[in-house]
Amino acid sequence: MPGNRTRKSWRPRIAAATAVLVSCSLLAGCSGPDGAGGDGGKVVLRYTWWGNPDRAARTQEAVDLFEKKHPRIEVQTSFSGYDAYKQKLATQAAGGDAPDAMQLDYRMIDQYASGGVLLDFAEQRSALDTGEFDAGLLATGKVDGKQYAIPQARGTETVVYDTAQWKKSGVALPREGWTWSEWADAMRELAERTGRPGATDPGQSEDAFEVWLRGRGKSLYTEDRRLGFTVDDLTRWWTFADKLRREGAVSPAEQTTQLDGTVENTPLGRGKAISDSNWDAPSSGFVALVPDGVTLAPMPSGEDGTPGQYFKPSMFMGVAADTGHPKESVQLVDFMLNDPDAAKILGATRGIPVNESLRESIAPGLKDFDKTVYDYQASLEGDLDAPPQAPPSGDSALQTTFQRDYDQVSYERMSPREAAEDYVTEAKAELRS
Amino acid sequence: MTTTTDTPVTTPAAKTVPVKRPGGRRREGAAWVFLSPWVLGAAVLTLLPMAVSLYLSFTDYDLFNPPHWVGLRNYTQMFTEDPRYWRSVGATLTYVVIAVPLQLGLALVVALGLKSMRRGRGFYRSAFYAPSLLGASMSIALVWRALFNDGGTVDNLLGTGGWVNRPGWALFAVALLTVWQFGAPMVIFLAGLQQIPTELYEAASVDGASRWRQFLSITVPMLSPVIFFNLVLQTIQAFQVFTPAFAVSGGKGGPADSTLFYTLYLYDRGFVASHMGYASAMAWVLLIVIGAVTAVLFRTSRTWVFYASEGDR
Repeated sequence: MPGNRTRKSWRPRIAAATAVLVSCSLLAGCSGPDGAGGDGGKVVLRYTWWGNPDRAARTQEAVDLFEKKHPRIEVQTSFSGYDAYKQKLATQAAGGDAPDAMQLDYRMIDQYASGGVLLDFAEQRSALDTGEFDAGLLATGKVDGKQYAIPQARGTETVVYDTAQWKKSGVALPREGWTWSEWADAMRELAERTGRPGATDPGQSEDAFEVWLRGRGKSLYTEDRRLGFTVDDLTRWWTFADKLRREGAVSPAEQTTQLDGTVENTPLGRGKAISDSNWDAPSSGFVALVPDGVTLAPMPSGEDGTPGQYFKPSMFMGVAADTGHPKESVQLVDFMLNDPDAAKILGATRGIPVNESLRESIAPGLKDFDKTVYDYQASLEGDLDAPPQAPPSGDSALQTTFQRDYDQVSYERMSPREAAEDYVTEAKAELRS
Repeated sequence: MTTTTDTPVTTPAAKTVPVKRPGGRRREGAAWVFLSPWVLGAAVLTLLPMAVSLYLSFTDYDLFNPPHWVGLRNYTQMFTEDPRYWRSVGATLTYVVIAVPLQLGLALVVALGLKSMRRGRGFYRSAFYAPSLLGASMSIALVWRALFNDGGTVDNLLGTGGWVNRPGWALFAVALLTVWQFGAPMVIFLAGLQQIPTELYEAASVDGASRWRQFLSITVPMLSPVIFFNLVLQTIQAFQVFTPAFAVSGGKGGPADSTLFYTLYLYDRGFVASHMGYASAMAWVLLIVIGAVTAVLFRTSRTWVFYASEGDR
């Protein structure tokens, strides 16, 4: 039986060849993420965030300092605009390849924590000091009683405007406690006198809608994680925005559709509108884009004076549950949040720090836009209502749906009511699942 | 093209299979060893993911928690409850109908021009082919967006406003990016044109046939297998268009869903909204539709594709 013998002799060789192939692919797959080999025993961490170039420069400076203090650790950083970041992180997390340390939004925590992507900080208690954090604020990073994310800073929304242009127009400057109808009148006057829309069309922004909604005593979500508003509410909001857009008081659809979460692509950033509504810290990006500088004003209130805006933990830091270096990753988080030198470098680029002693210690040293943000927040202290609880998982997708449905309104392919019905239907489906 | 060359080659080859030769097993073993990278690759990278995706299409899977069986719900939801799904189907079909004929038409015209060219053919062939190499990249798509954005070069030159910001025009801007990458079909056309015997043209001109007549009665029929090949290939590619629309619309398929191509919506459902089951179901429907369209193309090809060898039989 010569055939049999040849077969036998081949078998181990095939097995060996297969083993080599498989192990090659495994090796290639494994050496990527943790990258701990070849670098003379250096631990390599990946740290990602979203933001503008200003934040990038300061973050890099802080990271360089971290590497200097921890020579054994190397940190590879990457950043992008919010929209791109959100998609990339979801893809990485799904593939089990989440970065070791990552910046997270309020909206991401529930989804990522319940999906097992995030490390419970209790496992590395010794590497992170949370003594200087307000307990209430710290709790915003908890899911089912476990600390999956640490709030990094606090932020609030603002009407940010081109100081020189608004003053030149002669339109009365925004004041604290102004209402949405006063805001709308100001936008109309600005458009009339400057020939440019007063603001970015707020219709596309779920954040602006939330402020408006809270001003009417409602909320995006109820405590039991259902929708906190009706088709009628959303129809009213979109009718309001739609009318202003048709009048030319806010940006046209062609401008609004280019929004992608970066200040560079806002009408104000492109020099095509007088103001924008945004979170306070990222508004620092406008300094480089608006030649004569910008001013921060409070968001409009409800008609009866109910404030809609609130202080929100502006962003969080989390660590991947399957990181190869949990201790070092948490050390990086600790450094970014608690190190006095890091705080000096970072300033208010992610909002005002939540570490209370750092907040007090850096306040006098703040300059330029950091001081603007600090003063702006100080001016609102005590006037705002409590923040809502963290949004449910489905919200992350709904934010995009909100923009898309309003796109249909601003390009006049749907009436505000049709779009609102569309949104509410999808929202109910998202929140059920 | 595959049909013309493969058929005569494989038939005689198939006859040799039953013949037993000494050492056949050994040869078989060697064949498997040499094939093993491919077999492993196909199994691990193609067949396994396909099977998983088929399974996922019957589940609700958010990427983070274990999949949960829902039967046909993804499919019924897609066809009956999701207006955005149908908008993506509409955008994709419009795109296929616009981009494919334009691209093939341009490829053929340029190939004809190159064929009759005496000098510098090599240079122009490379020059026209270059976009095909570059065009699929993200960077070119971003350049495209900058060109057709409002305040971009095209806007400044033609004063037409930003194409990518207008729902009626954005799809056309994306199609133009595809049309511009006509190099690959052009090279294939050129090869096909060079296969046509010059005697046919000489005989036709002796008979007094005009250039146009020669084109219709000689070039088109002789080239029809190549036209068919390009048509099938480009149609399949057009159905799966993703990168240009993703970059041009900033990943959203905007403005107002006008460039929300099927694959873009699939990506959105899977990776933005975390509905992997739904996205898998969409992928399977796409596979079936592409299969059906290709089958229809093959069916109709019997009436218009002419194989020179048929005359010999």
